[in-house]
Amino acid sequence: MIPTDPQGRDEIAAEFVLGTLEAHDAVRVATAILTDADLARRVAGWEARLAPLADLATPEAPPPELWRRIEARLDPAPAPARARRWANPWKFGSFAGAALAAGLATFMLLRPAPAPQFMTVLLTDQAAPAWLVQADGAEIRLASLNTSPPPPDRVLELWALPQGAPAPTSLGLIPADGRITVRPTSIRPSPGMLIEITLEPPGGSPIGRPTGPIQFIGRLQPAVGS
Amino acid sequence: MNATSDLSALLQRVARGDRAALRMLYEHQSVRLFGVANAILRNRDAAADALQDAFIKIAQRAGQFDPARGPASAWLAAIVRHAALDIARARGREILSDDPALGDQPVAPEALEAALGRAQTEQLRACLEALEQKNRQGILLAFVHGLSHAQVAQKLDLPLGTVKAWIRRGLLRLRECLA
Repeated sequence: MIPTDPQGRDEIAAEFVLGTLEAHDAVRVATAILTDADLARRVAGWEARLAPLADLATPEAPPPELWRRIEARLDPAPAPARARRWANPWKFGSFAGAALAAGLATFMLLRPAPAPQFMTVLLTDQAAPAWLVQADGAEIRLASLNTSPPPPDRVLELWALPQGAPAPTSLGLIPADGRITVRPTSIRPSPGMLIEITLEPPGGSPIGRPTGPIQFIGRLQPAVGS
Repeated sequence: MNATSDLSALLQRVARGDRAALRMLYEHQSVRLFGVANAILRNRDAAADALQDAFIKIAQRAGQFDPARGPASAWLAAIVRHAALDIARARGREILSDDPALGDQPVAPEALEAALGRAQTEQLRACLEALEQKNRQGILLAFVHGLSHAQVAQKLDLPLGTVKAWIRRGLLRLRECLA
């Protein structure tokens, strides 16, 4: 039972947040706060009081496949279009492979760049490779692998977010040929840095931070052999 | 822009079904949040299950996040903690474990100092430090490591009834101190 006296209600809210309630009491509180505004307020108050303690836990990287598991849970039934595409894997695979190879070949022919220290491939929301990002200690190079152009009234803007930084830094607009090399002055490419591409109004984000949806995202990783 | 408004903006987009925003949120927060789950479950597989459950809830409930009630980072951590606690309870945490991985280090005052040294949490740190050591330890073992009353009692070598009373008293003092 949820107590009726203020003191008892505050105690059960506190112990719910602390985590010391037995399973049946915890379920009772979790259910009650959906309709009991006073109890919900008390729980929120305790969450706010104790929240900073969560920072005492040591940060740790989750297993690499976890995001895919989350996406699989969010999309339990594959969309018909996707199912059809995979029903003919030869056709799709050869198309994607050719596009990937063509993009890579173009990139390598035009720019015999030094061996990168860090790399990542930015994926589409269908997990298809879209951009290759290579970086060394000073320079970030981006090449299109197989990307459709943005809508006519929009541009693609490249951003970098070093680990721990509160906000991404713009690396500039991506030209129509899909290739850009930047030497950012305020940040240095480093492992773990997030690279993302957003859709922005012509001329780029007017406020110095992403305003449009993230189209592609990836995290720089040490290149094998460097 | 600061990290807080950044997370709030991402949550608003997640509420509209923006999958890229959810992915961005995951990229930003999964290392911190996996740490929160793993501190409670002390098992990477179980912590991964908890983080998965939590991100499904985050995707479903992002529209319920109210910035007026506290920072987005705290809202996210609370969802992860409760997902981890649900798994801990389902696994039967009443089975007392003598887990050597359960360090006392996070309970040490210097760890508090390091983790809670920022200005906005200084008051909480001061209030925690004002508690008797075993009250403070009991609260931290429960909140950070998901220990039940019985497990805290075993860990601190105190009778169960004493631990329940001390934790309750400690929480009451914290509330008064933070008011």
